[in-house]
Amino acid sequence: MSAATTYPGPAAPSPADVPTALAAHRRRLRRRTTAVVAALCVVVVGLFATMLTVGSYQLPLADVVASVLHVGDDPSVDFVVQGIRLPVALAALGVGLALGLSGVVFQTLLANPLASPDFVGVSSGASLFAAGAIIVVSLNGIATSVAALVGALVSGLLVYALAWRGGVTGYRFILIGIGISQFMLSITAYLVARADIHDAREAMTWIIGSVGMADPGTLQALFAVLLLSVPLLVLLARPLRGLQLGDDSAAALGVRVEAARWGLMTLAIVLVAFATAAAGPIMFVALVAGPLAHRLLGSAPGALLASALVGAALVMMAELVAAHLLPTALPTGVVTGAVGAPYLLWLLVSANRGGRGG
Amino acid sequence: MRHDLRAEGLSLGYDERTVVSELSVAVPDGAITVIVGANACGKSTLLRGLARLLKPQAGAVMLDGISVTDMRSIELAKVLGLLPQSPVAPDGITVGDLVGRGRYPHQGWFRRWTAEDQAAVAAALEATDTVSLIDRRIQDLSGGQRQRIWVAMALAQDTDLLLLDEPTTFLDIAHQVELLDLLTDLNRERGKTIVIVLHDLNLASRYADHLIAMKSGRIVAEGKPQGVVTPEVVREVFGLACEIVPDPVSGTPMVVPRGRHHGG
Repeated sequence: MSAATTYPGPAAPSPADVPTALAAHRRRLRRRTTAVVAALCVVVVGLFATMLTVGSYQLPLADVVASVLHVGDDPSVDFVVQGIRLPVALAALGVGLALGLSGVVFQTLLANPLASPDFVGVSSGASLFAAGAIIVVSLNGIATSVAALVGALVSGLLVYALAWRGGVTGYRFILIGIGISQFMLSITAYLVARADIHDAREAMTWIIGSVGMADPGTLQALFAVLLLSVPLLVLLARPLRGLQLGDDSAAALGVRVEAARWGLMTLAIVLVAFATAAAGPIMFVALVAGPLAHRLLGSAPGALLASALVGAALVMMAELVAAHLLPTALPTGVVTGAVGAPYLLWLLVSANRGGRGG
Repeated sequence: MRHDLRAEGLSLGYDERTVVSELSVAVPDGAITVIVGANACGKSTLLRGLARLLKPQAGAVMLDGISVTDMRSIELAKVLGLLPQSPVAPDGITVGDLVGRGRYPHQGWFRRWTAEDQAAVAAALEATDTVSLIDRRIQDLSGGQRQRIWVAMALAQDTDLLLLDEPTTFLDIAHQVELLDLLTDLNRERGKTIVIVLHDLNLASRYADHLIAMKSGRIVAEGKPQGVVTPEVVREVFGLACEIVPDPVSGTPMVVPRGRHHGG
């Protein structure tokens, strides 16, 4: 090696120390991951408890915990906690986890911060089918959720199929996704414009999205999907780390590129489909969760878990603000939209400044 | 360990377009092979085909007598590594993490980071003189340092065969020589078989044990640089009139181009 080249930074350790230095480096990264994940867990648990205690009828935390654990003896507390607040808090938790996970998988897979299911047609497919169900065939309740689920899956897989050309690349997927998304949104707008005022209002509420409207059946399905996706994500996180280096590098490392990509993409689409079926397309959560988690982690690994937790925290915060801090209670999606849109603008401006485009 | 990598009647292309047609070549074991040719002659395509990044339209790439398309991805990746032309570094990733990812084929769902992985990554960092960069983020490094890190990752993969697609493209002349010296060290000291796609003919003929000159998806000439780098071959491959003189440092053939100006 040329002695003329000098590198900045600390002097190179002697050869015997290299494995030690490497181990120390890995330990530092792991410690950061542990700290971030632990802190996020505390935040999520805290928000969950807040959602159960706060409301027009303030409850002491001890009573809430007793009621959740089914050891309480006050039927009125049980009614408020188990009947009203727990389903909403669980919905916020499940929807947030699913959106956070789905968003970060999309963004990592397509190597683009704009590649969020909100923008590549999945959410708009759910909206179209749900609005169609409400307006055209006058369905409601769980039938709307099923329609939304079908819509999300259909549009997600449609984008995947259209973007396929012997493989899927980030840009083509995003551009086709945006096209499909606009197409679906315009049909939705047409349906809403033609609908009578009652149906139109119901459809619009659904399209904005609110964790308060999740029904028990859809919620159970969402948690089942979340539980099933845990082992799959544990398996797929490894090839995902390879795919991050580009398709050629991943293939050279022995990653089965298309199989891994298909598996991850399908999982992400299914997660967002079930989340949307439960609470409507709560916009921007999937978009911001990944980048926020990335900020917290720095170079440390663990983006999937951290992003899921950030997603949950965001949805719960948005729901708390929407339900309690505003003069009138609003759907969750109004708050995430109001906070998320400026973020999107900032993202576009800063991404273009860096010359990386959107 | 000895290996036999060869292409037999190999045709490669993208969609309908054929870039490499019916090409047969054997990569000499334990040597440095350099592939040269004009832009779009199919040299990178050939390299990607050899590494199974492209499915053959016809023919096959054989490694130790087995078609690579019949091998499990992970088994191939334990023997043959590739540094692509433009690898992507995820935002914020550190040197230690990136080089560690080269261990992918040696790990499994249940067998994660072991002492063996640790040793391989440490050796790769040492070989590329990048130990002091462990904690740095890739995005903060210079082009030359970055290229060393990618080579380190390929080394951590610990394959007997290493393919590199234009590894010197973004490097200045000093870093180009340094990188080629490093690859020569790996070949001489660890017996690695190395295949490099290069642009610079003079560096190619200095560092190659075996030189392959390509044009329009075919091999025009191959062999020792002395036999390949001739005015006739350079004219055919690059459409360039030139003189060949011995390299004053290495004695290998050196191309002195003739243009329309400055020629007495």
